Amino acid sequence: MYRKIFFIISLVFILFTTSCENRTSKENRTAPLVGFLDFVQDPTIELARKGFEDALRNNGFSEEDGTVEWIYTNAQGDIPTLNQACELLISRSPDLIATNVTLSTITTVRKTKDIPIFMIVSPRPDIAGLSKDTLSYPENLFGVYETLAYIDTAINMINDLMPDARTIGTIYNQSEPQSVDAFEVLSAACKKLNLNLVSKPVTNSSESQLVTQALLNEEVDVFFALPDNVIFASFETIEKNCSQANVPIFTSESGLVSRGALASYGADFYQWGYQCGEQASAFLLGENVTGPEEVIIRKRIFNPAVAEKFGIEPNELYQPIPD
Amino acid sequence: MEFYTTAIIQGLAFACMGLGIFLTLKIFKIPDITTDGTYTLGGAVTAVMLTNGMSPLLTLVVVIFCGAAGGIATGWIHTRLKINALLAGILVMTALYSVNLAIMGRPNIPLIDDKGFSNQNIYLVVVVLVFIAVFFVIWLLKTDFGIAMRSTGSNPVMAQANGVNIVYMKVFGIALANAMTAISGFLMVQYQGFADINMGIGIVISGLAAVIIGESLSRIMSYKNIAITILFVVVGSIVFRVVLAFSLDMGMNPNYLKLVTAIIVLLIVGLSNQKFNKHLILLK
Repeated sequence: MYRKIFFIISLVFILFTTSCENRTSKENRTAPLVGFLDFVQDPTIELARKGFEDALRNNGFSEEDGTVEWIYTNAQGDIPTLNQACELLISRSPDLIATNVTLSTITTVRKTKDIPIFMIVSPRPDIAGLSKDTLSYPENLFGVYETLAYIDTAINMINDLMPDARTIGTIYNQSEPQSVDAFEVLSAACKKLNLNLVSKPVTNSSESQLVTQALLNEEVDVFFALPDNVIFASFETIEKNCSQANVPIFTSESGLVSRGALASYGADFYQWGYQCGEQASAFLLGENVTGPEEVIIRKRIFNPAVAEKFGIEPNELYQPIPD
Repeated sequence: MEFYTTAIIQGLAFACMGLGIFLTLKIFKIPDITTDGTYTLGGAVTAVMLTNGMSPLLTLVVVIFCGAAGGIATGWIHTRLKINALLAGILVMTALYSVNLAIMGRPNIPLIDDKGFSNQNIYLVVVVLVFIAVFFVIWLLKTDFGIAMRSTGSNPVMAQANGVNIVYMKVFGIALANAMTAISGFLMVQYQGFADINMGIGIVISGLAAVIIGESLSRIMSYKNIAITILFVVVGSIVFRVVLAFSLDMGMNPNYLKLVTAIIVLLIVGLSNQKFNKHLILLK
């Protein structure tokens, strides 16, 4: 009986002593420590992280040269793990925490009021529910946000390139806040332009094929792809079905144009991360950084091969993607 | 240490759900997956009520009733419509997704301005609630009613022959289990600061892990006592979260996080299942 108790106590003791290592305290640090909190493993969202790293590197902060120390965590899509990973970063007392996607931002804002938070791929703080109005935001929140105004311009793009289109089809994910918000902006914009919007909800990428085919059966002229992880994941299926039905795809995400969409107007994830990285570098260099700022670089790009197939010639405002 | 405190608090918050799964799985021998839906239901109701300024205590009462309602639905479908328990759970869980979406109105509700219990108080609240839940379950299972519940799971035919209403027992048991899961949702939403429509997906795995790890660890001590078994469910939940935190702390590639967690849990469960007495006697 006592042997069992001894066994358990020694196990617990070992666990606790190995966990209480001596971490480099803030004063002894030679290079700034940057924490990165990612929520999912997604190739499109990863572009934002690459942009962030490249911006830091271009401003003299790179891990290879020893001028900065990175802790990179990814919650693998699991919310309790996200909480734990956030605590991990906070426990290491970094100089700043960069948060990728909205959930990471909300979690980190909740947990710390001292460590500067640089958000990427997140909406404006009041849209995310972090503040009550458009002008206020938490004191330690910086980074780059996106509003949904670009969707209006994206819709105008359809009028531009296909003036005869009357019916727009879209699928949206009810469980992603940015998808639902974008869908509402889309509906309002379509009403203003007198376009007919047909929509179908989808919950995960395995349903995309069926839902897209159901949508295409309703005689849509154009498909609009919203900023949505389900659409990103299953875009090849959507593109195949749409091109078989001769329906072009417009979108607000430039990453989708190289995968087969016709044209897009919106923020580029890499540039988004880069802009945030520039802000973070300025902060690390001691410059004064005011709160979060809006995304600057939005591009109009189109896919020449797809445009040729549909017989559409965009004007000079549109940049072709490189071959 | 704050880092491992998080793991312990999350472990305690999920312990309520572990108790619920223990009730359905070990006592009633019914595999119940409604947990995914009721956990989110508890969280959704909490978020909506707290952001509308209601008191946390009232929210707790409503959450318990909502969880119980979900459980009653599953129990009813299983016992009255004679549908397999697993399928009944899946049906209710799927239906609850839409219900939760309707309750929340949007996929994600953050709790700004520290609504509900503040950050310091939440630790105390979690500990107190889990204590109450554990002692309630232990007390319940030792009453006559509780023993009737245990007999329903152990030998339904014999129990019915002895006059126990097994339909009522099963529905009550599943309702109680899901009420406890909803309490877990209530605690976690206040701890993490937001409710998300997807927060319940796969959460039943945490509960199952808690129960099974607890059972394996309790073999090191005497496990014939139901009170010890239930206490070890709480321990199992905490161990699972601490293992996850430990894997994160090791600092390796995040892609291998889940693999490492699985290996460590496997080691714990596998080693506990060995016949330790023989080895320890040999050491003499």
